[in-house]
Amino acid sequence: MGISDAGRQAPGASAAAGKAVRPPPGADLEALICGAARGDRGAFEAVCARVGPPVFGVVRAVVRDPCQAEEVCQEVLLEVWCAAPRFEPGRGSAMAWVTTIAHRRAIDRVRAERRLAERQLRATSHEVAYDEVAEAVEARLDRKRVRHCLGSLTSLQRESVTLAYYGGYTLREVAVLLGVPEGTAKTRMRDGLIRLRDCLEGTA
Amino acid sequence: MRRPRRAETHTLAGAYALDAVTGADRARFERHLARCQACAQELRELREATARLAGAVAADPPPALVERAVAAAARTTQWPPDTGRPTAWPRSWRARPAGRAGRAPGPGRSWRRRLALGLAAAFLAAAAASGGIALTAAHHLGAAQRSELAVTEVLNAPDAVLLSARVRAGGTVTVVMSHRDRALVFTTAGLPPLPAGRCYQLWLMGPSGDRPVSVLPAPDHGMTSPVIATGLAAGDRVGLTAGPASMTRHLASTPILMLSLTA
Repeated sequence: MGISDAGRQAPGASAAAGKAVRPPPGADLEALICGAARGDRGAFEAVCARVGPPVFGVVRAVVRDPCQAEEVCQEVLLEVWCAAPRFEPGRGSAMAWVTTIAHRRAIDRVRAERRLAERQLRATSHEVAYDEVAEAVEARLDRKRVRHCLGSLTSLQRESVTLAYYGGYTLREVAVLLGVPEGTAKTRMRDGLIRLRDCLEGTA
Repeated sequence: MRRPRRAETHTLAGAYALDAVTGADRARFERHLARCQACAQELRELREATARLAGAVAADPPPALVERAVAAAARTTQWPPDTGRPTAWPRSWRARPAGRAGRAPGPGRSWRRRLALGLAAAFLAAAAASGGIALTAAHHLGAAQRSELAVTEVLNAPDAVLLSARVRAGGTVTVVMSHRDRALVFTTAGLPPLPAGRCYQLWLMGPSGDRPVSVLPAPDHGMTSPVIATGLAAGDRVGLTAGPASMTRHLASTPILMLSLTA
């Protein structure tokens, strides 16, 4: 699986030595995705450098299994490439477009696995080995702000949002976990996200 | 009765942005979204918030992974621009033309079905090889996923019951239990933090002996993520201890909480 021609179209964007592709400091992600949409693989490399960490982070948080997380992450990056011609600037940020794809794919993966394995596991009682669920995740600037803003939600809002987003639980599952009616969980998710958004805008 | 229903559909935007809406509800919301400008706008805004949730857990992917994606892109034909009606994103990238090249994981149902079929085939092959379906499923999944799967199973069990209790030292614990599955899911909120090197451990205690279940994961905003306990026996109670950071096999301290599981 050679990568020798990966940077062919973009002089100076060679992936030689496997180093992180120069993270284009000022280049804006939207412009890069639009470049990728025109088939510019150098632009796509730069997109990967930029979105790789949030994509990998969210996929890993949801999928848990490291091998599968890598597989899904790679699929997501490739989907970003394939779908780049469909990205519409002006309909939300490029980062939100990418992370939406990433989260959806991660969720698809865990739910497909669960559905399949459910039937087979149902008949048998099984011992469960314990892993750290959701290893506490590090990040930089953004993390602090997000944490701060998550802290400003009511606990029910915060738990609804984080169980669904990081835990990959469905609305119904979140409701059961929190011991509230589905309708309540539903409004807490919405209110929580709205409050989170407002708070993040305020501190961005 | 159309109006209340519509308003209710509208409030699904948050759950939908979190990918927590499934099945018929999801289809209904997506139909609604195609007609409702305000909803599409709200969804876009909420997704800016979920994007930040993704950013908050950012982690560098292995460089080889990115290299593989870039190399795969070189061999993969991009999708044509979406010519459908302009709505929110999901519609635009879920509608997928039939003719496409490459092995790109496509969005939408057909992809999910293919993945499911592929996995099912893998299950069957492995089952044939090892001579046991149940074992296969357990082998196939990672430990974390098996745990995760069991959690989901309990939460969706038709006989799931919810118990919750206050801990005297502070905080609450919540138990969702299924007799059918002989399992329970355990979460906590607001337990007092413990000094370094000590942690909470969950036990099942009863006539069939005291069994250690698991050390509780580190709390996030005071809340611990769900832990599963299987193999429930009649008369079991749930116990919680505060002890050394590594899991202990025998009860060394008095539990700070004992919760009876008889409803």
